[in-house]
Amino acid sequence: MASGFILSRGALPLATQCQRVCRNVSLTQVREKKRWMKAYTYLMAKKLKLEGPPPPKPRSQQPLWDYHAEVQAFSTRLHENFSQELLKTAFVNPCYLQAEQERRRGLGVDSETIALVLRDNIQLSAKGVSFTQSLLTDWCRASFPSLPSEGVESIVGHLTSSTVVTYVARNLGIEELTMSAEFPVPDDVLHSTFMAVIGALQESSGAERAGFFLRDFMVTQLIGKDLFDMWKVVDPMGLLMEELTKRNVALPEPRLIRSAGASTVLPLYFVGLYSDKKLLAQGPGETLAAAEEEAARVALRKLYGYSENRRPFDFSPQQQHQQPLIESVSSN
Amino acid sequence: MSSRGTPSRFLASVLRNGLGRYVPQLKRISIVFSKNAQSSLGVRDFIEEGVVDYAKKNPGTVVYVSPQICRIPKVVAEYLNGNVREELVTSKTAPQISELLTKLANQSGLEIMRSANPSTRTTPASRASGTRSPTGPRPSAPSGPRSRTLSKDSTLSICFSSS
Repeated sequence: MASGFILSRGALPLATQCQRVCRNVSLTQVREKKRWMKAYTYLMAKKLKLEGPPPPKPRSQQPLWDYHAEVQAFSTRLHENFSQELLKTAFVNPCYLQAEQERRRGLGVDSETIALVLRDNIQLSAKGVSFTQSLLTDWCRASFPSLPSEGVESIVGHLTSSTVVTYVARNLGIEELTMSAEFPVPDDVLHSTFMAVIGALQESSGAERAGFFLRDFMVTQLIGKDLFDMWKVVDPMGLLMEELTKRNVALPEPRLIRSAGASTVLPLYFVGLYSDKKLLAQGPGETLAAAEEEAARVALRKLYGYSENRRPFDFSPQQQHQQPLIESVSSN
Repeated sequence: MSSRGTPSRFLASVLRNGLGRYVPQLKRISIVFSKNAQSSLGVRDFIEEGVVDYAKKNPGTVVYVSPQICRIPKVVAEYLNGNVREELVTSKTAPQISELLTKLANQSGLEIMRSANPSTRTTPASRASGTRSPTGPRPSAPSGPRSRTLSKDSTLSICFSSS
């Protein structure tokens, strides 16, 4: 409606402009001040203001794009030996296949000449999902042996959640290579594509390489994350009591250790948890209940080995991992 | 002039790059130049001499060379985190362009800005320096020089920073 108005308003000058432009370009080149330019620029600016900026275009539809070279550079960049066929299959999503087939059908040519010879990534994606799940679970069990299974599940759930996976995929340049029906690529499509890439890596270079890939790009996202940001524990004190009874330790006794400004708007309490007259943990809070809960969380972190000052994860490169293995084998 | 008003960020890398393995962050570089223009002379020299070596040295980067009718030759670098940097190379010599491309290949693609104070802590300070601790001195630890300097009386706490 609005653009129609603009067009009708600008129709007269536009028509004359077209004539002028045609005359200028094709017939006689008149070198003069382009007096039509101001009206034209004004019209285009008005149009841009009414219609908004044009929709974003995928990089593959912009100039200078070579899909084969891009895929090859992708695998070289990550220092992985993907089989190119598998990697290209991993980028093809079922939604893209559907959209492309419909587009070709709409062109009106007979179906045999335009048949699409592409496989989609459903199988690779399913494989990648199950592999990621099992590997991350194993890794969590090995790194935090005393963490209960709900905690492990929530850590794995956080790492395989849509936000983390799409963040990693976008920063690895997977989004541009993804073949999707829509643009910008929806999160679930990007998620399944990333999983398919992992599945392709597992098929082409084995589970060990895929494991290192996951360790280098997914597990690193765990750095600086608190355990209870990922694992929502409503009643940490109850969980702590359960854990302590499991280990046959005396139940915790909360005691107020220090406090300041109790009558002000910013009170501060420190609650310590004592078990058998030994200090388990202490935590601060604005109220006594909050401080007690925080102290219970600190105690739980200590129990599970997820405290802030724990030993950092081992991300050393792969060769250093293999060498001790070989040595130990040869010494045996 | 003070730099307080300028934007700053902490030193960072994309996706904790280099922790597990190093991923070169430059994914694509396009060299746009003219076949005839005087201003593209250096770029044409570079394309004759150095661009193949550059592409071989950086296998993770796709190099596009595109001759167009343009007066201002430019280098467009696209990074893995989605940032695009455009560098104009008008009237630059081949060694200068080679240097520029090497620099672009080594960068992370994050915006270049003033780096904030690198000493950070994830937990906020419990009190401002030079003020009294709200809860008095810490309960005496079994060892350590700091506990020895403190008085036992909580009302007469000694300032850590001044001592």
